[in-house]
Formats: sequence, C-alpha cells, structure tokens
Amino acid sequence: MFQIVDGESGVVVLEGRLDASQAPRAQEFLDRLEDDCVLDLSKLDYISSAGLGVLLKTHKRLVGRGRRLRLVNVNRHINDIFTYSGFDKLFEIEASSVPRRE
Amino acid sequence: MQQKFRRSLDELKNIVAFTDRFFAAEEIDPAIRYIVDLCVEELFVNTVTYNTETQADILVEMYPHEHGVEASLTDFDVERFDPRDIELPNVDAPLEQRTPGGLGLYLVLKMVDSIHYEYRNRTSKITFIAERKQADVPDR
Repeated sequence: MFQIVDGESGVVVLEGRLDASQAPRAQEFLDRLEDDCVLDLSKLDYISSAGLGVLLKTHKRLVGRGRRLRLVNVNRHINDIFTYSGFDKLFEIEASSVPRRE
Repeated sequence: MQQKFRRSLDELKNIVAFTDRFFAAEEIDPAIRYIVDLCVEELFVNTVTYNTETQADILVEMYPHEHGVEASLTDFDVERFDPRDIELPNVDAPLEQRTPGGLGLYLVLKMVDSIHYEYRNRTSKITFIAERKQADVPDR
C-alpha cells in the first residue's frame, strides 16, 4: 500500500511502501511540483531503488529550476538506504526523531 | 518455503505477503526484514525487466540461515546474468552527474552478507544470505 498526498503548508506526505510497482504513481504526482518542496517521509516504511530514482529525478528537475527538495522525518532504514546510495550528499535530509517501527 | 511468481511488478505485493508468512512461520528477526525485502525486490525487478525472452514464472525461496535468511530467485530458460559482474554506479558523483537507475543491484551487493550465482541448463539462480549484523548502520 502506497499513498502520496498534499499535506499542510506545501508539504507532500509519502506513506507505505514505495516499490517498483508504485514508482510511476509517485513520479506522476511529483512531476507536478514547481516550487520548493518538503517531502515528509515519517509514514514511509520502505523505499527501493525505483523510489530512489523518482526522488533523484524530481530533485534534479527542481534544482535545475533553482528550487529545492527537502526530505524530512526519514526513518533509520530509509536513511541507511540514502547513505548507501550517496543521497546523503545530494539531498537535504532530516532524520526522524521517532524510533522506527519494526 | 518457496513460491513461484508471474513476471510482473504487480507480483511485488504477493512477494511481500509471502515474506510475511516466512518471517512469521520461522520467527525470523524483523531487524533484517528491510534488507530481505529490498534485495528480493531488486533481484525480482531486474529479472522481470531484463530477462524478457521467457514467460516462465520466477521461483522465490527463503530458508532460515543461522542468524538470518538465505533467499534465492531462480529464473528458467534464460541467458546467463551474474549480478556480481555489473558495473557499479559512482554514488559519490555530484548531482549533475547522477542519473536515475543503476542502484538496485548495487544496493543488493552492498547490503547482503554473501551472494552466490549458479547457471546451468539455461536456469539462472541467485542466492543471497542476510544476517542480523548487517542490519546495523551502513559503512559505505
């Protein structure tokens, strides 16, 4: 189950599992973003390389327009994936202060 | 535990359900669940995407292994493809040089404790072992 919705104050909330079957839906949603954006990942349980590709493509597009994409409330598992992938050097990332669900 | 899956990304949710049953039945430490999910998905998606010359189902197997899990994916009637031979992406490259794609098998190779490849009679089998200690913070 994966959801991506507009939250409060321009924040976009991702929830559930962002796997290869859901990546096109996430990409379609994020392709509509035009301004600075914050992605709240506090409810995102899982991301695979397909989801990483969606974030990278969106980030590159926004940076190319002089905008920024920030990732907040990132749980430890997903933060590990970001570190392995070098995303910690590409994105502004704010880790979650809440212990992750097992 | 083993099960065959159609060559479709729609099967990912069924693979997750299969993994749920395996972890529950074998009382596997949930701390390694993320690694198992990610590696199985990446290998499955890679197989579905690139081994297009066959319509055969893909066999996924999972067994307990000491402090973790041994998992394998077997693909039938395909050419040889050893994931250990891929060219690794440069994850230290700046943003302008990064492109979407290429991270899946790289993550598998980084996250598993060991990976093994067999190819015989046009049958391709990738096996990996994920253990508890690898669930800790990565050392890239």
